[in-house]
Amino acid sequence: MTAVLKFFFLALFLSSGAVNAEDSSLTIPHNTNGKDVLIKMTQAMKTLNYQGTVAFLKNGRLEPMKYFHAVEKGVEQERLLSLNSPLREIVRDADRVSCLFKARHQLIVDHRPFERSFLIDIPANLDALDAIYNITVVGEEDVAMLPALVIAIQPKDNFRYARKIWVEKQHFLPLKVLVYNLANEAIEQLVFTELQLKETLPLVDVKFLNAVNPPPPVHPLPIQKSDQANFVLANLPQGFQELFFTRKPIHNSDEQVDHLLMSDGFASVSVYMENKNAASQPELYGQGSVQSIGTVNFISRTLGDFEFTVMGEVPAETVKLIADGIKLRDLKN
Amino acid sequence: MNEELNQKISQFLDNELDHDEALSLLQKMQSRSELINTKNRYEAISHAIKSDVFLAVDPAFSAKISEAIQQEPTYLLSRNKKPVRRPSPKLLALAASVAVVAVLATQNMNNPAERVKTSSILQLAQRPIAEQQIAKQSPIKQPSQSVVNTHKTEPYPLNARINDYLQAHDNSVYTHGEVNAEPMTRVTAYSQE
Repeated sequence: MTAVLKFFFLALFLSSGAVNAEDSSLTIPHNTNGKDVLIKMTQAMKTLNYQGTVAFLKNGRLEPMKYFHAVEKGVEQERLLSLNSPLREIVRDADRVSCLFKARHQLIVDHRPFERSFLIDIPANLDALDAIYNITVVGEEDVAMLPALVIAIQPKDNFRYARKIWVEKQHFLPLKVLVYNLANEAIEQLVFTELQLKETLPLVDVKFLNAVNPPPPVHPLPIQKSDQANFVLANLPQGFQELFFTRKPIHNSDEQVDHLLMSDGFASVSVYMENKNAASQPELYGQGSVQSIGTVNFISRTLGDFEFTVMGEVPAETVKLIADGIKLRDLKN
Repeated sequence: MNEELNQKISQFLDNELDHDEALSLLQKMQSRSELINTKNRYEAISHAIKSDVFLAVDPAFSAKISEAIQQEPTYLLSRNKKPVRRPSPKLLALAASVAVVAVLATQNMNNPAERVKTSSILQLAQRPIAEQQIAKQSPIKQPSQSVVNTHKTEPYPLNARINDYLQAHDNSVYTHGEVNAEPMTRVTAYSQE
């Protein structure tokens, strides 16, 4: 009798182990590559018509929105409808973003050539990230009642944050994105609560967004070469590359501001340079020390007659390292 | 010698000894127990003579009382006063912090409109950095998103500058429900000629 019981418990133990093994490996093919999944996801995001409800969680604020992605003859359009105040409709046509605030009938148009999606931007060449990120499939979970592969994007150093992306298994659409700080705490999240694939979805003409105060015509952002910048960056963490450089007025004045945007594929950092303003009170900003606004870290410093600010959703050490390495360019040479 | 002492004991009981002699006798009685027994015996005889009722007293009775008194603990410190502890600065700081939180929480509870607000990026950007630093140095660690003070403050010029930088940096102004649209118009200006 004892031998029978032993055999029973042994069989029970082995069978439970077999089930666990099945959960972790059998349902995920051994050859499933995290980068392949992300490539398929990028393609699906561009080519499929889909809509759903997505919640953005950042800085303790939850923002639920209706999301639409429509494609017609290769032309993409992304649209967001806020469910809570302030009610607004945001449309992305290529690099042009229009935002209508419904209460005031105010339309704001922005030109953002360096972004492609409100959900997540995946770099075109994922192999180039091998030196700085490990991209692996770490499991399967259901999100919005849809089975999804969990892709972990784990940095190999402490200059950037880790991410996880939940990719729907059938059509490879992103269902959930999480960003973790160095303490492995989630600092930013977007998650679909429902997602539907559609045969077709109409493209919305922004002209019909019925704005009482239409904005002036938008001109493309003049992208310039960064060698025109009056500064160089001596300390740049591995993998960060220039996305664009521009010199334009940013504030409500004619004052020119240099803006260099860099990215390592997932994390982005901006460096701003403008003339030192005598009226400003830099001491209030604790120059030389890293400040935080929500998940964004930034640091300001003065160099010669210029004020520099480095900011990004990266660890404090990263913005400090970049700021410490700013040097004025010797334009004579 | 004993006769003389017995005589003095008798005089002592009759209150006939002067002060110095009585004191000398009591000192001797403390050192010689047989004198105490004599005094007790004389006392009993005297009581019997003076009254009709005689109560036989256990010779050891008074000794037991004395012994019990001797065994009573002696309290060198006042039992009524509790020792006064001086609170440490940390405890004082903690108490002050709890009080501040209680006051702020009460104010929030009393103002539902304020209670549901959390500070947005833009609102945070519009707070003077000095204020943010003070908030950071507060003994109560609060995540930046749970800053209670959502009242608008007069932004410094640099504050607006950081705000503009934030919006030029990424598109979260659209997706994360920043309620203050004014700075967005600057974004429009940023991307237009």
